[in-house]
Amino acid sequence: MPVRLLLAAAALAASAIAVAAARDDTAAAKVELGRRLFYDADLSVDGTMACATCHEQRRGFSDGNATHPGVTGAPGRRNVPGLANVAARAALTWGDPRVRTLEAQAAIPLFGTHPIEMGMKGHEAEIGKRLGADACYRAQFRAAFPSGGVIDATQVVTAIAAFQRTMISRDTPYDRYRAGRQDALSASQRAGLRAFATRGCTACHAGTDLTDDRFHAIAPPAANARDTGLAEITGRAADAGRFKTPGLRNVAVSAPYLHDGSAPMLADAIRRHDTARGLDDATIAALADFLTGLTDAAFLHDPRLSLPPPGCPRPLSPAAAPDAGRASAPRG
Amino acid sequence: MDRQWTRAIWAAAMMAMTAPAASAQTPPACSAEAKPALPAALAGWATPAPLAAATDRDGVARATLVPGKAATVTLLPTPTVHYPLQPEKPGGSVSHGGLLAFTIARAGGYRVALGSAAWIDVVRDGKAVVSTAHGHGPACSTIRKMVDFSLEPGDYVLQISANATAELTVLIAPLP
Repeated sequence: MPVRLLLAAAALAASAIAVAAARDDTAAAKVELGRRLFYDADLSVDGTMACATCHEQRRGFSDGNATHPGVTGAPGRRNVPGLANVAARAALTWGDPRVRTLEAQAAIPLFGTHPIEMGMKGHEAEIGKRLGADACYRAQFRAAFPSGGVIDATQVVTAIAAFQRTMISRDTPYDRYRAGRQDALSASQRAGLRAFATRGCTACHAGTDLTDDRFHAIAPPAANARDTGLAEITGRAADAGRFKTPGLRNVAVSAPYLHDGSAPMLADAIRRHDTARGLDDATIAALADFLTGLTDAAFLHDPRLSLPPPGCPRPLSPAAAPDAGRASAPRG
Repeated sequence: MDRQWTRAIWAAAMMAMTAPAASAQTPPACSAEAKPALPAALAGWATPAPLAAATDRDGVARATLVPGKAATVTLLPTPTVHYPLQPEKPGGSVSHGGLLAFTIARAGGYRVALGSAAWIDVVRDGKAVVSTAHGHGPACSTIRKMVDFSLEPGDYVLQISANATAELTVLIAPLP
């Protein structure tokens, strides 16, 4: 092969490697930035609410309340869902199948008014102003979005979504059982698993995350229900009371349950399903016990997903962070 | 960023954000007559005394909250507060926070009542005490949030973070 051709091929390969490496660097920078943003209450109008205010890691990134009030104190409408394996979800909200990307979903608590959560509608310019005032953030945004542009909501939701894609849970006793470790589940949990399969639970709670990502009514809706679920979007009476099947990973640490948080305990949530009608207490208890086998302790304590320490994450490359040495003010 | 991608994000989000508001809930209206009689342990809530929060560990001894006595606490801009322990829910740069000291003489359950949904950490020897329960205050009481702790005798720091305003009513009361 002529030397010139060899050099050209080598240059091309080097270029491809450099592009791939840059892409990887950008992806990692987006995740790191997204993690910091996820925990940053400056994304709410009065600085009191971050994504993590409602999505608590120790609860599988769900909330311990039936619903969570927004910045104005107005009550929330629906129970906060957990985020384990959220990137695999085809539907992302309790009642709206049109929201199919993490980026679009992230914008809803930020700017939505139904209900007001973080309250940033009408204050969009504040995002760039607040984050841009922090030297560390400026460096992180440059690293994550090297093509430039101002810090804005699109970059924010893109980075948060990148972080959410790293919320991967695959280490529950149930996973280990499926991998062949019979003793990963107790006898009671195995009995619960059998009941889960034979009593029709798997018709909706299907797959590795125990959701079909579709919208179902677990029982006929009350005539005076304030929240009609899917029907609110479709306008079809037949969709009244249909809500997305929630995934069940970490369900034991994410009480209370159902779309409105009206079921305080697992047994209460199970009994609210029509398919559970007639089940005896022992079967309900076994089902609940099986559900405790879906807790991923490593996920709940994974430091890569936790609140980052104040200040700039390390390491940031000097090229990406020319002024990162000026640490941001302590954020408490 | 790619304009098409940006448009796709916001088109989907806008649809969801503009859903009908027919089922929005509203909190109950409270009139002066609707104020409930508070339990004896929370009686001090009605007569708070002013108290300036500290910005750091060195100043916290001068910002002492006495259990059983409510205080209207003046908070500081969050960027000026140096928390001994990173709050679990740090406030944003536009929020307010501060530090208070308090002493527990008798072991038992204690309730921290707040006039807002601010985040609190009860810290002793550099570690946060895990709360045992949380909830809302009685309807129309102006107590927005209550957090319970099981506390041993000793000195504590109450870290307040993520408060919207520079003023917050706080009461630490023994549980019956």
